[in-house]
Amino acid sequence: MIDSGLDRRDFLKVLGWGGAAAALSGCGNTSIEDGKETVVSYVEAADYAIPGIGVYYNSTCAQCDAGCSINGRVREGRVLKLEGNPASAINRGKTCGLGQAGVQHHYNPDRVREPMLRKGDKFETITWDKAYALIAEKLNGAKGEEVAFLSGGVSGHLKVLLGNYLASIGCKNHYVYEALAPAVARAANKKAYGIEMPRFNINKAKVVLSFGADFLGSWVSPVHFSQQYAQFRKGVDGQRGVLIQVESKMTLTGANADRWVPVRPGTEGILALGIINELGMASGDIAAAVKGYDRIRVSKETGVPPGQIDKIAALLKLRSPSLVLAGSAAEGYAHGSQNAAAINLLNHVLGNVGKTIEASSSVTFTQMAPAKGNTAALKSLNDGLAAGKYKVLFSYAANPVFTAPGALKFKDNLAKADFKVSFAHYLDETALQADLVLPLDSALEDWNTQVPEYMAEGAQINIQQPLMEKLHANTRGMGDILLALVKQRRAEEYKSFDDYYAYLRAAMLQNKGALGGGGADDDTFWNDTLTKGIVKLAGSSGALSGKASVVGLTLPAPSAADAQYPLHLIPGVTASLRDGRHANQPWLQESPDPLTTIVWDSWVEIHPKKAAELGIKEGDILEVTSRSGSIKAQAYLFPGIHPDAISVPLGRGHDALGRYAKGYGANPFQILDAVFDQETGELAMHETRVKVSKTGQCVIVVKDEGSAGGKQMGRKIAVSMSTDEVDLSKEV
Amino acid sequence: MRCLLSLFVLLMGLFATVNSYAADAPQPALTTEDSSGPQVVQPIEFPHDRHAGLRNPSDPTNSDPLKGGMEIDCMYCHTYARRSAVAGIPTLQKCIGCHQSIESVRNKPRIQELFKYWDAKKPVPWKKVHDMPDFVRFNHERHIKRFVEQQNRPTQEACGYCHGDVKQMTVARRSKGLTMGWCANCHQKDHPVTAAGGTPVGNQAYWYSFQKPVAGTAGGEVKAQDTNNIKAQGPNDCWQCHK
Ligand code: SF4
Repeated sequence: MIDSGLDRRDFLKVLGWGGAAAALSGCGNTSIEDGKETVVSYVEAADYAIPGIGVYYNSTCAQCDAGCSINGRVREGRVLKLEGNPASAINRGKTCGLGQAGVQHHYNPDRVREPMLRKGDKFETITWDKAYALIAEKLNGAKGEEVAFLSGGVSGHLKVLLGNYLASIGCKNHYVYEALAPAVARAANKKAYGIEMPRFNINKAKVVLSFGADFLGSWVSPVHFSQQYAQFRKGVDGQRGVLIQVESKMTLTGANADRWVPVRPGTEGILALGIINELGMASGDIAAAVKGYDRIRVSKETGVPPGQIDKIAALLKLRSPSLVLAGSAAEGYAHGSQNAAAINLLNHVLGNVGKTIEASSSVTFTQMAPAKGNTAALKSLNDGLAAGKYKVLFSYAANPVFTAPGALKFKDNLAKADFKVSFAHYLDETALQADLVLPLDSALEDWNTQVPEYMAEGAQINIQQPLMEKLHANTRGMGDILLALVKQRRAEEYKSFDDYYAYLRAAMLQNKGALGGGGADDDTFWNDTLTKGIVKLAGSSGALSGKASVVGLTLPAPSAADAQYPLHLIPGVTASLRDGRHANQPWLQESPDPLTTIVWDSWVEIHPKKAAELGIKEGDILEVTSRSGSIKAQAYLFPGIHPDAISVPLGRGHDALGRYAKGYGANPFQILDAVFDQETGELAMHETRVKVSKTGQCVIVVKDEGSAGGKQMGRKIAVSMSTDEVDLSKEV
Repeated sequence: MRCLLSLFVLLMGLFATVNSYAADAPQPALTTEDSSGPQVVQPIEFPHDRHAGLRNPSDPTNSDPLKGGMEIDCMYCHTYARRSAVAGIPTLQKCIGCHQSIESVRNKPRIQELFKYWDAKKPVPWKKVHDMPDFVRFNHERHIKRFVEQQNRPTQEACGYCHGDVKQMTVARRSKGLTMGWCANCHQKDHPVTAAGGTPVGNQAYWYSFQKPVAGTAGGEVKAQDTNNIKAQGPNDCWQCHK
């Protein structure tokens, strides 16, 4: 700036004068758009459509698969705002930030609008008829086993229809892939409790001991758990619940805990057995199995001081019932299932099973239950692709080119399929590799039913219905596309359904009785169902059957130090970005991470001690290198992480998807090693070892916390000093 | 030197501004209370006078369009005004609802034009005649409730406070200032800035003449708790219009 003696204040004054003059000419005494702007009226309007007055429709949030029910405000035919539907036991009228951003999925400027066919390096627009014909043609040239369908966790009638379609083309290769699904937990729960997803009653517990389960942020059904957590904090019998969080990287839940216990990555199971030993409540073979885990050994192996272990054990003994949760942070290792088993055993020993862990209800229509799967499924697809098994590959609601661990080389293998069809909202990394891209309706334009995996009270089927007219003429609902495709093979069977809506309605009406509409006439039942947006069912809930058992429970000794790659990489799962499929919604990019307050970019969380050791300061651009690749991101010094670990959040680092996602941040999926849980074959997300090196560049970290770059930049505003340094008598 | 430089920057600033709006020509003249807005060309020249104008007693069949109107209530067509903050524009269906059975004018050019839109199921692209800046929220419903429903004033009078004598217009034209000072003209008259006399005044809301509200003037003495008890409410709260 020129040194003119014209200080900032004078400068603003001048600008102010200019501004005032501009205002006079701009709006002054005249109205601003008289005679210029067009006001478009309705041609015909329903009675309830009044300009300026909102109408509300119930539907289901499709931003993640927790299945929160939403209520959308629609004004002048446009959906404006989503809120939670109070009638749902899952979310009771609330949504999370990710859910709020659902409107930005719908209005996103980067949505795919036309069917597109690959022509060399480019796509060209084609008609739907042509696209369908092309699929039929390709399928005629392929045997059933040469076709594969990759999808995210579909449920409800869409899953049924998809199953029917796959049957009609003789394809048995349906791979379900949700990159962050709690696959190890399901298997471990099944063993320990007899069902994959029991009901966790956080609100009935007096102590919650969570091993890396970020239930307030992103774990399983965060909106539901957040509300339970509020009750838990108010307390059972006036006793405020105590939360202890054991994890190597602080999550949102960890930040809320009364006691945050950093643990050496991968030793969560050892700590759990150590606590069982310390409790001294077990008998028989459990007692025998944990005998070796005395506090000194456990402390040495986990890095948790013996005093902590004592305190945790004492608290658990004192307050019952408690609840112990095994989260993805504990399960992301080659011995992840073992860790989870050890943690679940703790619940048995404490007598929590049947009290704070209960059998959940499930929908009696098992064919509608959500399809589940994680990287194990992707890996077998990947193997098949590598072997050149597939001629035709469909993909829907999954973006493995972005989320597959780099070591799988999924993108290269994908190229070996002759004809790839992608059903897509955006041109994401996977759609870009496709030969045919079919544009989908947004979740606020489409019909569907959804069955959540985690049932809060009774079972429920959620209705997803359009909140407004389609924005783009040539997108289609996934159900409509599947119906058109299945008609190619079974025209006779499906001829009475003009569209997916008709199919859905008929399917629901067929089971009217079982869905609680016995006695009502069809229209009444159907309208009632759509109005409510939820079908509540009694559901069936068995008792928990698993028994406490230590058979096969062996925990490996803590992993040895790796000289070449000394640090553990913990991929951070943030509440708003999750696996990154919604990264093109700018609200999610701009809302600060709750712990670091960083926006629009990735970062490397590193412990200040470690940083000092390596000569790293905030804002240094670090190169994080694993055996499978490397990424670059800015350093953020964070005391909430184990000194032997670093963490990079997932979800950013897209090189496609859209204008708000492409080019922002780095993608840690890319550098994940292909290490798998020994029991379930799922990806061990936390097993990747890395080293960091400084690139020499340094940036100012863009974050809400503190002032820019932690410096005042010469401005005398908000001088920061700790309160004990302030001498108030001098200030006044 | 320093002074000169400052002046220079100041002048440059002003000059740049003047320049920027001189280029925006032509500038509408500043309006006074009764001056009119621009004459707006509409896709169909809708004759408000014919629809809302007074009947001509000497023409009982109402056949001569030049001599009288049909005294249709404003709210027959502008039906949203009493139900919503925004008045909206009548649906095309509303026009057609009557006109499909008025054979006598069915072949008039304007009506033919109207039916063209209807057959194509396309809305008429009317131009906005009364526009407010986006930071102003005027609530039609409240005003209609107050004047028409509570005080039983004729609709045309109530609407006319802001929209002028529409029954004499063909295509509507803005005839009032619709500025904040203009709004305040009425509000100051009808809601005096005293707690006792009119609507209670909010502590933050003394924008009339920027004076502090005087509480309890009717009773004579002003007590501290009176001023504290005054609650922001009604048209004297800034927030009512600037949400
Ligand atoms: S947890 Fe959030 S994103 Fe997931 S369904 Fe509920 S509101 Fe939607």
